[in-house]
Amino acid sequence: MLTLNHFLVLGAILFCIGLYGAISKRNAIAVLMGIEIMLNAVNITMVGFSFFDQVRPYSTHLTGQIFAIFIITVAAAEAAVALAMIIAIYRKRDTVDVGEIDMMKW
Amino acid sequence: MDLATLIFWIFAVILVGAALAVVGLRNIVHSALALVVVFAMAAGIYVLLNAEFIAIVQILIYAGAVTILILFALMLTRIGGQARTNPTNRLWGIAVVICALVGATIVYAAAYSPRAVANVGNGAGQLPPGINNVVAIGQLLYSPTTYSYVLPFEVASLVLLVAIVGAIVIGRED
Amino acid sequence: MALYQFSGLILLAPLLAFAVIIFGTRPWDLLSRDKSGKAINRAGRAEAGPYGGEGDSTSSHADAHAVEAHGSAGDDHGEHGQDDDDDPKVPYLTRGAKVSGYVAIAIMALACIYSWVLLISTLIDPQTLPPQGITVFQYEWLVQGSASYVVAFQLDHLAIAMMVVVTTVSLLVQFYSQGYMEDSAGYARFFSYLSLFAFSMLVIVFARNFLVIFVGWELVGLSSYLLIGFWINKRAKPEEQRPSPANAALQAFVVNRVGDVGFIIGIMILFTSTGTFEFSQLVTRVQTMDKTLLTVAMILVFCGAIGKSAQVPLHVWLPSAMEGPTPVSALIHAATMVAAGVYMVARTYPLFAAADPAAFEVVAWVGAITATFAATIALVQTDFKRVLAFSTISQLGYMFVGLGVAGPELQSGPGMFHLFTHAFFKALLFLGAGSVLHSLHHATHKEVQDMRLMGGLATRMPITAITWLIATLAISGFPFFSGFFSKETIIGLTFERGDWGLYALTLGTAGLTAFYMLRAYIQAFGGKGGRVGGLWGGTYRGVGEPHESPRTITIPLILLAIPSVIAGYWVGFFTYLNPNSPSLDIGQMLATPDTWIGVVVSLVGLAVAYVLYARVEPAKLHSVVQNNVVLRTLHRILYNRYYIDELYDLFVRYVVLGISHIEQAFDTYIIDGLVNGAARAVTTLGRDTSKVETGRVQTYMIGFFGGIAVLAVIVFVLVTYVRG
Repeated sequence: MLTLNHFLVLGAILFCIGLYGAISKRNAIAVLMGIEIMLNAVNITMVGFSFFDQVRPYSTHLTGQIFAIFIITVAAAEAAVALAMIIAIYRKRDTVDVGEIDMMKW
Repeated sequence: MDLATLIFWIFAVILVGAALAVVGLRNIVHSALALVVVFAMAAGIYVLLNAEFIAIVQILIYAGAVTILILFALMLTRIGGQARTNPTNRLWGIAVVICALVGATIVYAAAYSPRAVANVGNGAGQLPPGINNVVAIGQLLYSPTTYSYVLPFEVASLVLLVAIVGAIVIGRED
Repeated sequence: MALYQFSGLILLAPLLAFAVIIFGTRPWDLLSRDKSGKAINRAGRAEAGPYGGEGDSTSSHADAHAVEAHGSAGDDHGEHGQDDDDDPKVPYLTRGAKVSGYVAIAIMALACIYSWVLLISTLIDPQTLPPQGITVFQYEWLVQGSASYVVAFQLDHLAIAMMVVVTTVSLLVQFYSQGYMEDSAGYARFFSYLSLFAFSMLVIVFARNFLVIFVGWELVGLSSYLLIGFWINKRAKPEEQRPSPANAALQAFVVNRVGDVGFIIGIMILFTSTGTFEFSQLVTRVQTMDKTLLTVAMILVFCGAIGKSAQVPLHVWLPSAMEGPTPVSALIHAATMVAAGVYMVARTYPLFAAADPAAFEVVAWVGAITATFAATIALVQTDFKRVLAFSTISQLGYMFVGLGVAGPELQSGPGMFHLFTHAFFKALLFLGAGSVLHSLHHATHKEVQDMRLMGGLATRMPITAITWLIATLAISGFPFFSGFFSKETIIGLTFERGDWGLYALTLGTAGLTAFYMLRAYIQAFGGKGGRVGGLWGGTYRGVGEPHESPRTITIPLILLAIPSVIAGYWVGFFTYLNPNSPSLDIGQMLATPDTWIGVVVSLVGLAVAYVLYARVEPAKLHSVVQNNVVLRTLHRILYNRYYIDELYDLFVRYVVLGISHIEQAFDTYIIDGLVNGAARAVTTLGRDTSKVETGRVQTYMIGFFGGIAVLAVIVFVLVTYVRG
């Protein structure tokens, strides 16, 4: 039988993989892809919670799914802006290596 | 095991494998394609959870728009001719450790905390006749009655507007 | 009586002279030079200013020192053009300089007359001045609970006796300096320093408590430093074992300071035990003090006198101090400053008397050892002034012996009596030496102080020679001269007390003194082949034609010869100082046999000196000494002053400076290391910590999530293992 734990563990694993990608990739777009994976993991968790919710009846409170819709919306907006920024930085510095964007160092 | 569980495991394994491919492959375009698989499998999982609208929206937005955005960005920021266009930095070892610990923490909290929710789902529920997932979400989002998410909806549209304007401004060439 | 209250003004008068000269006449001189460097001169000389027209850039220099010092660089200075020394000379004195001299002499004459008036009035009527003295001036400087620090001056018989000595000798020396220093640069400065010295000496003489005497002590040290190092440009002469005046001045000051350490500690011990600095109060309060502590304190106080009065082991500065001008040697290092130690012990005599007799033993033995030590060194010295320097050290030793053996009847009488007579004949000896050196300098255009280059000067400088002979006989204790009375009193006291060691030392030293003084006289003024059997004139071993000095130099010599003869006849000296002591009984003195033993010893010394130096060729004497191994080594040891200077030099260089180097290393590496190290640690820590901010987002994310991971682990551990 499927339980909530399945989806939570799946979400946790995906979140960690996405986090690894966000921390350790040098290409800015790869970092963005890691962030997209993290957001997807969170979405899965949200929808899982809404499905396994026994307190309220299914028909009226799909809170988790509404949350997932908004996450998708914001993720799309954020991806657009982030990619615009990456392109702008690429034009200025001719690199998309995040390791070289360190003007705020000591 | 029953059909739902089997399908879940298939989708989950492919999902995790594709995610690993996203962070692991040397060629960044390959990673982008693996990302599409991730999105698709996530949509499958949503379907399993009786969230058909979310699944369709996932395919439309993520697998459709976001992926194309990423591919366009890759095209515009090509660093030519390198063998490895998706390198990792020096701190990948620490990153592995940290991610493993964070993951273990979440799993532990989910499984062993006092508030762990380990109950069986009633996915199909007591849907009234004529109401499917899309209708239900539509009612929640737009209804003028007391419990509705109209305000977040309006704010989200504003966010999108700002994002569009911002992306255009930032991405201008001058 | 109002007459005695006036002494406060007399005390301040030399200070006024100093101020007038420094702040009045010298700026006047500077201002009266016009822009092109020509000084306004009254002689109406046609030349352009005193520096031969080279003076534009130099004379406009604001510092008169440097300007005057340039005087020797020119080549048109008359007969001084060929001088080989670097004492700066001026061809004539400016008006301000001459006025300085007159001001100083006028004030000192006033003080001298006043002191004689006081002396005579207290002799005529001893009741006018109470025995414990009157307070002339008092100023409460600081009062802290029970401790009060008062600047106070008093006048009593001892002070009057000393004041007479100080002012008379000062006046004669200042008068003499007019002639001696007439062509020296810095003439005004010299008189200002002489006045400062007189003031300092009077502070010591009039002091009523240890604070004031210490202030005066240091002031005379300062004046001595300024006066010894007067010729600041003069170089050292290592071939004659002579340091530069600047180094000699520094040596004098530092060695005095070493003695002052003991002095201060002694004063402090007395203060903490009795709570007062005043002499009169101390006399009563030390009766109840712990005797050992009092003895220790008084011996420490005596250490100050050891330094100031050049006793062994702190005697090394006095021969070097001969680098100063001869009037300075006469005033300071013969008659007055070195006598300040003796005066101080005399002033605190009741404190010494209240202590263990060991204190007096220390004083007497230090004096006796010093007397013999210095006399042996003086036997072979060839520098004219150096013989006199060691003679001074030796006679000061006599004074301390006199203070040490006097006993409760005579108290400070014998020591002070010898100080009194010694001041006059020693000043005469030094001023006579200055006269000789002055004329030899004019004759040879070089600074000649070696007795081997003199000889037979008596026929050429008769007044100097006869007065010097009188002083020689006085210091040798020749019967009926002044030194005879004071010296034989002291030797007789050692005999009466049964102190055979002291007796032997003092008697032997009397013989040695006679020997070397007559030796010096014959080597300078006589020689084989002269008249009166070699005592008057003879072959002159130097160059040039020396002649008698001008009157400004010879008049003080004649004036000093008089008290050198008759000062000993003031038999009431002891009673004058201490009403309870008996006066000097000359008849009794002549009747006791040990007096005549002393006379015989002195005559033997004179005879040996006469035979060796007036009858034998100097070259033959020299060869005899060199050929005999014992005599040769003895001669070398004595000539090099027992190598004590070298010993002190080694000590300072290796021990004192060694410790300084260690402490400097400690300061540089440990203290500075700590301080700088702390600063360096902070900056390094800051710099290394700032490297955390790499500017890369992924580093910050690692920190963020790493923190979450760490917290998660902690929570897990706490939850699992601490629960329950």
